[in-house]
Amino acid sequence: MTEEIVEVMVNPEKKKGSLKALYLKEQLTGYLFVLPAFIIVFVFGLFPIGYSVYMSLFNWQVTKGKFVGADNYLKIFGDWRSLILLVVGIGLVIFGFWVWRNAFKNQKHGAIISKIVSLVIILVGLIFFSTSWRLMSEGGTLIKAGWLAREGAGPIIAKGNKDFLNSLMVTLYYALGTVPAEIIIGMVIAYILYQGIKGKEIFRMIFFLPYVTPAVTTAVVFQIIFSNRPTSIANTVVGLLGMDPLRWRFEPKPVTTLLGMNLTGFWSGPSLALVTIILFGIWTYIGYNTVIFLAGLGNVPKEVYEAAEMDGATRGDMFRHITVPMLSPVTFYLTLVAFIGTFKAFNHIYVMRTPSAQDSVITTSLMIWDRFYKANQYSIATSQAIVLFLVILGLTFAQNKLMGERVFYG
Amino acid sequence: MANLSQAINVSAPVKKLKSKNSFGYVIGRVLLYLLLIFAAFICLFPFYWMISTSLMTLGETINKKFIPEIPQWVNYADAWKQAKFGKYFMNSVLITLGTLAGLLFTSILAGYAFGRIDFKGKNLVFALFLATMMIPESVTIIPNLLMIRGNILPLPGGSWLNTYWALTVPFMANAFSIFLLKQFFSQVPKELWDAARIDGCDHMRFLIQVVLPISKAPIMTILLFGFTGAWNAFTWPLLVTTKDVWRPLMVGLWGFVNEAGPETHLLMAGAVITLLPILVIYFLTQKQFTQGIATTGLKG
Repeated sequence: MTEEIVEVMVNPEKKKGSLKALYLKEQLTGYLFVLPAFIIVFVFGLFPIGYSVYMSLFNWQVTKGKFVGADNYLKIFGDWRSLILLVVGIGLVIFGFWVWRNAFKNQKHGAIISKIVSLVIILVGLIFFSTSWRLMSEGGTLIKAGWLAREGAGPIIAKGNKDFLNSLMVTLYYALGTVPAEIIIGMVIAYILYQGIKGKEIFRMIFFLPYVTPAVTTAVVFQIIFSNRPTSIANTVVGLLGMDPLRWRFEPKPVTTLLGMNLTGFWSGPSLALVTIILFGIWTYIGYNTVIFLAGLGNVPKEVYEAAEMDGATRGDMFRHITVPMLSPVTFYLTLVAFIGTFKAFNHIYVMRTPSAQDSVITTSLMIWDRFYKANQYSIATSQAIVLFLVILGLTFAQNKLMGERVFYG
Repeated sequence: MANLSQAINVSAPVKKLKSKNSFGYVIGRVLLYLLLIFAAFICLFPFYWMISTSLMTLGETINKKFIPEIPQWVNYADAWKQAKFGKYFMNSVLITLGTLAGLLFTSILAGYAFGRIDFKGKNLVFALFLATMMIPESVTIIPNLLMIRGNILPLPGGSWLNTYWALTVPFMANAFSIFLLKQFFSQVPKELWDAARIDGCDHMRFLIQVVLPISKAPIMTILLFGFTGAWNAFTWPLLVTTKDVWRPLMVGLWGFVNEAGPETHLLMAGAVITLLPILVIYFLTQKQFTQGIATTGLKG
């Protein structure tokens, strides 16, 4: 290459050709450097998506069978009518949020009216959504699902895959149970460590430990700590608080029922078995969030805090009005990663689940694994996996829209 | 203006002194430390319990003692033998080393190309790489299993089930490591490259002689994440190993869970064994790793 450059310097008229050769060489080097990684990522990461879609269109059990088109997907939702209702419902909710946003933008002109309108739209969307959900999990006519008032009218709608829908709900519980808790606790711990704490490095090292250690190993330990024996560690702690021993990992009843409340459906909340798994999830990820938040805190200019201190701000004020907004890009990133992570979570749930907790701990990724590993129903499993992927995409997009606009970039 | 800056210089230290000696400040500090110690206790308790149980006798585990009277080191030897950990441990070590070697090779090259070379379609390819981070394993695992069985493409040697390749090759590249290195490599000053080019350096030599020696922190970071990923892998090895030939430690431990049954002390000894290499690597890379996170785009 040196000769080329020298030659270009000496013979200006040769410049064009040589520069082109340089350019081509640069291009080639780039492709060659990326090639090894690209082959692996393509073969094991990208190609399988297309192949999963392909598989889901057949009746595929270990080996390829008949072409069945969208049948595997219809089995999930039951009937195209409930699917339309679902899509319309989600669309209305999104539209409602959009109207709400715009109401904020033009506050002068009938802000209240457009807010009311948007609330109505969201409400209708939610009714559509819950109706379609009930239709998909129980089937029957629209009337049975609480839709319309007249009796005997309307077509009978086939029910979809109740187990799969239930697994989506379990996954949602798991996500809502772990993500906010681990983000908030992680941020608070990072903020405390940032206050010139002695032994900060040691604390950080301890908090990060659960994240690096194998989930299978630590889940086995949690399995024993949260066993249903009256002498288990968890029950000893509960006993100290004056409560009766609980069944923990083996308890399929919702926590609200255990607390004496009488709620049904979605609002009854996760089972105690799932809560145990949620506790494990929080325990694992707090340290990771703490470490990343600490790195983010290092980027907040010290002058901002000094200025605020001079203005008489308390530590609480500074946390609320400086730290939280300055960290918002980090929070956004961590929430996104954590949310996607909960939809992928597998190992510790697989280890901690018990037959007696029934389907109350079966998240979608476990559901898919069982379909495929135990039942050998490859095409059903792939169609469910594709739906899960679409749900993740949708939620990520929604989160981007909702949270992304509030992020403050220095 | 001069008065103002003087006032600031004078008042700031006074205010700090006052607040540092006040009663409220001291109480606040004590509370903070108590909170941290409590959190550390929660983090460490399962580990403490694991280690102490692994040193108990069977009787002590049943009676729920917190500390073993005489440490039973023999539990480790028993668990090692009973769970065939010797074989599994070696397998895990070899799988992890192979995966790491491949991972370093592919991600350093790709990270460099994405960070420092302009080629057509770069952004598109990079976006495709990043997109794979969002894809759940549930989607890819079934086609990948078929691939490894040789059902999709003909593989050298027919089926890769129960082979070393099945356990290492799919993990020899990932978007996260490439992203991390790209962020770091793109921060290397352009002047360095210009100077090197005048001296007749091409990209490969520049990468090896200039860039790599200053990239210790991000490389340690991907080593730590790569190590934990490979060592902790569970589902994929469970799928592609049906015999002991290449079965790794995590699958072995899972088998031992069902086998050891009520012998908690042996199970916990086994659990500690699976943990040790991770702890060693963690303490060794700790410092560079923290630095790696702070200097790369990982924090968002």
